[in-house]
Amino acid sequence: MTMKNPKSVAIINSRAPFSSPAGKDALDLALIFGSYEQDVALFFQGDGVYQLIPDQEPALIGQKDYLKTFAAFEFYDIEQVFVCARSLRERQLTTQFHIENVSLLEPQQFAQALARFQAIFRF
Amino acid sequence: MGQKLAVVITTPPYSNLTATALDYVESALNAGIEIVGVFFYQDGVLQANSNISIASDEFQAIGQWQQLHRQYQLPLHLCITAAEKRGLRDDLSPGNIHEVFTVSGLGELVELTHQADRVVQL
Repeated sequence: MTMKNPKSVAIINSRAPFSSPAGKDALDLALIFGSYEQDVALFFQGDGVYQLIPDQEPALIGQKDYLKTFAAFEFYDIEQVFVCARSLRERQLTTQFHIENVSLLEPQQFAQALARFQAIFRF
Repeated sequence: MGQKLAVVITTPPYSNLTATALDYVESALNAGIEIVGVFFYQDGVLQANSNISIASDEFQAIGQWQQLHRQYQLPLHLCITAAEKRGLRDDLSPGNIHEVFTVSGLGELVELTHQADRVVQL
């Protein structure tokens, strides 16, 4: 579906993946904006960075693995994925992610990148 | 500057944050700002449950949404996927979705975002 003058939309993920439905709700929104050919970017910050960690096994706690859908971002034309470098450091996480083409940004650059978007959602 | 606003509500009706959201929406309408629509997502969909009963001396969110809808013809869109997950049904008779709400999907939020100059999530 195409619309004239697509909007640029940023979706911030700030919650861990399986303790609440926030990450899944954010993903659903991102995929919808993507399928309407809007200019969508995903930002991961705070505990949201845990959504990018590889080799998670949510089935062990009876959860659906919505993270594997991240692999379909390209199909939905979601090409911009940003992660807060400081949030990773604070949690002693590496820059190994389960998807490719993730841009690592320091807080100030992260904020500047975010400011370029016309609409921002936060989960 | 454009004055069209879209509002996304994610808080349940018994939350103080909903009182803030209602104040915000009402102030915008009073100031002559056009609200292209209010979209209810996540726990925000619980606002539409017509079975909710809140003690009469407590904050009545549904009553206020109704009033804003009637006074300003404010469109109130409900994400049906989020709603069904929380027990709200429009496919049963009687259903339990309040009549002032329009059953919609996330596609509607894309439309609203597209129409609006500004989107505010509460």
